[in-house]
Amino acid sequence: MTTLIDKTSPARSGGQGPSGSGRRGPVVILRGSGRYRLILAVCLVLAAGFVAWGGTLQPFEQGQLTRAGIFAIAILGLNFTTGYVGLLSVGHSAFLGLGAYTTGVLVVNYNQTALSTIPVAMGICFVVGLLVGIPALRIRGLYLAIVTLALGVAFPEIVARLGGLTGGAEGLTIRRTLLRPPEWSGFTLGEKDQWLYWLTIVCLLLAFVVLRNIITGRYGMAMNAVRQNEIAAAASGVNIATVKLLSFAVSGAITGLAGSLFAMYIGSLFAEGSFTVLAGITLLIGLVVGGERTMLGPIIGGLIVVFLPYYTSDIGGGQFSAVLFAIALIAVVFVAPDGIAGGLGRIIRKVVRVDARRPDGGREGGLFGDAPTATATESGSAR
Amino acid sequence: MDIFLTRLFAGMTAGSIYAMIALTLVIVFRSSATINFAQGEFALFTTYVSWWLTERGWNIWVTLIPAVVIGFVLCAAAERFLVRPVRRRDEAAVLIVGLALFTGLNGLSGTIWGSDDKVYPRLVPVSVDSFLEIAGARLFYDSLFVMGALVVVVGGLTLLMSRTNLGLQMRAVATNQESAGLCGIKVGRVFMISWGLAGAIGAVAAAILVPILPPGQLGLPGMFHMLIFGTVAAILGGLDSIKGAVVGGLSLGVGLAMINGYGSGLGGSISLTVALVVVVAVLGLRPSGLFGSKRLERV
Amino acid sequence: MTAPLLQATGLSAGYGQAMVLRDVDIEVAPGQVAVVLGANGAGKTTLMRALAGLLPFSGELLVDGRAVRNSRPDKMVGHGVSLVPQGRGTMSALSVVDNLRAGAVSRRDKAVVEEDIERWFTTFPRLAERHAQPAGTLSGGEQQMLAIARALMSRPRLLLCDEISLGLAPRIVQELFETIAQINVEMGTALLLVEQNAALAMKIASYVYLLEVGEVVESGAARDFEQSESIRRVYLGY
Repeated sequence: MTTLIDKTSPARSGGQGPSGSGRRGPVVILRGSGRYRLILAVCLVLAAGFVAWGGTLQPFEQGQLTRAGIFAIAILGLNFTTGYVGLLSVGHSAFLGLGAYTTGVLVVNYNQTALSTIPVAMGICFVVGLLVGIPALRIRGLYLAIVTLALGVAFPEIVARLGGLTGGAEGLTIRRTLLRPPEWSGFTLGEKDQWLYWLTIVCLLLAFVVLRNIITGRYGMAMNAVRQNEIAAAASGVNIATVKLLSFAVSGAITGLAGSLFAMYIGSLFAEGSFTVLAGITLLIGLVVGGERTMLGPIIGGLIVVFLPYYTSDIGGGQFSAVLFAIALIAVVFVAPDGIAGGLGRIIRKVVRVDARRPDGGREGGLFGDAPTATATESGSAR
Repeated sequence: MDIFLTRLFAGMTAGSIYAMIALTLVIVFRSSATINFAQGEFALFTTYVSWWLTERGWNIWVTLIPAVVIGFVLCAAAERFLVRPVRRRDEAAVLIVGLALFTGLNGLSGTIWGSDDKVYPRLVPVSVDSFLEIAGARLFYDSLFVMGALVVVVGGLTLLMSRTNLGLQMRAVATNQESAGLCGIKVGRVFMISWGLAGAIGAVAAAILVPILPPGQLGLPGMFHMLIFGTVAAILGGLDSIKGAVVGGLSLGVGLAMINGYGSGLGGSISLTVALVVVVAVLGLRPSGLFGSKRLERV
Repeated sequence: MTAPLLQATGLSAGYGQAMVLRDVDIEVAPGQVAVVLGANGAGKTTLMRALAGLLPFSGELLVDGRAVRNSRPDKMVGHGVSLVPQGRGTMSALSVVDNLRAGAVSRRDKAVVEEDIERWFTTFPRLAERHAQPAGTLSGGEQQMLAIARALMSRPRLLLCDEISLGLAPRIVQELFETIAQINVEMGTALLLVEQNAALAMKIASYVYLLEVGEVVESGAARDFEQSESIRRVYLGY
């Protein structure tokens, strides 16, 4: 968290600072200029420093960070479809669970190495995502939320019924030795947690870069168009069905990746424990609080859904932490409608403006979300 | 035959409860076109209040009065102060507020009354022989009571809707908010009262269902599944139709009882999965449900 | 001249960041019939919606000389201003008679409400025939009659009519205009009309506003406009 706020300070000093006078406009920095690169480099160094610091932590704290990283990946996936395309999903817990169980079942029943199950988990979640995307072709908004809610609710029950494969209600335990880090990694079995931390960081980074590239590209524009006005999007040649189906599939695959990592992290899988619809709600909360349609939002969201309950439970017992969580959530919805990342972005934009220097006026795909383009009435949501 | 009837009675009992919850969702939806995901947790909270009062020696029936009042006030206040300010923004914001209320109210109940299960008394005391025998099947009095309660609630609502000025205003708002405003109707006030009404009915429904549905005790996780079934019932009937909520609730209850009864060879309960299939099928094939008006979002 | 019933000064309104109406001055005296003329997209509907409390506006709006702030439609009805919206805006699932009753919710004299319903049933016999039918099943002309009757149920002192001729057969339009003119004479209800059918509106209006791209470009007594050749050609098309 602190590093994220720190990121503004180099920018501030680099731009000679507004020194208290808010009336002067933001300092303009050209994209690609030397100063821009410097700021970017400082941010990267800070981020890398934070990650490296995480690598030296005690097992418990590091485990929490790993967990936050896994949730960040899951929320990145959710952001892809719920944030950018506007398809509300409450049931992404099902993808998390599907990814986790794919890894668990393959490792336990079919003697695969944990790492090799990741592509399989992502593939299966991709396909299921396509299937779940089908209702989204006809149903939108609240109704789609209900369909995904039903998916999230049904998932544990389905897992329980496939007891032969999944261990049913008793759960599925992956023995620790089965999660031995691969030899080339240089980590020993005793350093499994370290290995998982770094694996999560690498996966998070990959997911981040891949999704960012998609979102800033042509396909990302199509996604935005579909969210804002389907009819206009279709009229300008966007294939709405493809966009919706693919975004659900990609989103499912990324959240499935998180699920796969989660299986390695947690070791024993209970459908009624980690993959109920409450987990789906947690992901959605993480996304909204972190900031929809921002690249940093999911990471902030991941940190929050892991650490906020942890610290609030210190204050007043497990139940009261839920109350505090709810109050925090409502406060974010009221005070920072575009989440923490969006709110930070707005503050930063008051101080520094990064000029796109792109003749096509293309989208920025910014870390903190886009600068507000004329908040046109989104006629798509009207009826 | 008697097994069939037994299952039918069980299904209708559960269905009446689903219908009552569906009614609360429908009343809210008709006014503000949202689903209150925290509806069950409001009811949970009022039921805790009711339980707490019985522990202090109140008669269970008397405790319903404060429960209903609190249900009304809490829901109305939630609409006015938490939902309405974000309503114009987007659906996601409303949904998140609902989820926050869901989490917060559950936590609040837990904070005040603890997370252990409570024994909640029945509104009608039953003994082993308090049943009617119909063609060899037993119809317990408390099942009759549940169905009777549904009849009373639906009857009351129907009268309210068709005979009173408030009902007229609620119907006007449900049909066309803008025109309702142009008639001089205070649309915001109708929203608030609708939410309150849903909260009040929810309080009654929860007091009836808690002792009957497994585990038969008052606990924190109890209401969520009920809300899911209520939602499915409401969607099946059409989210804006009172008649639909009743038919949807009863069909869901009876349908699940039959599937779980006759399909027991499948092993275990598959209620939620069936509910999932119903939701997807209804929204895919006939988004307005059995009785709803055709105004769902589609492109 | 009597004190205006409704007086808007420097009224601006729009949707989001798009300002449709800029700095408009309009006033309507008690019992007066005024008409707002203008091409499509001139902001006529925006003006009506702002006056009826459906759209936020900036500028000053006085009713009976008292300022109206943060307007809402139900408040405007309370002030005696009632709108027949474009596209009729009847409540389609409600019966005809329920539509009329809903139109009277702001009134305290419940006993007289039923009398008023009878009165409009006499004025519009076709509504009486269909009193129990859902409004959505009525024909376009009948829905327009219902919309007008509904707006009158609150006993407004000013009736705003947004394109009541739209999409209706000429004969029905003629009837509707005769009816509202009669209401104006008999009940003293002031009218502010927005019309495409300028010729018809000019027949009953005593004052005219010309709206162009969101601004009032000219206004004056209807008489004077009849004689103004150029304006007639440009705005009235005859």
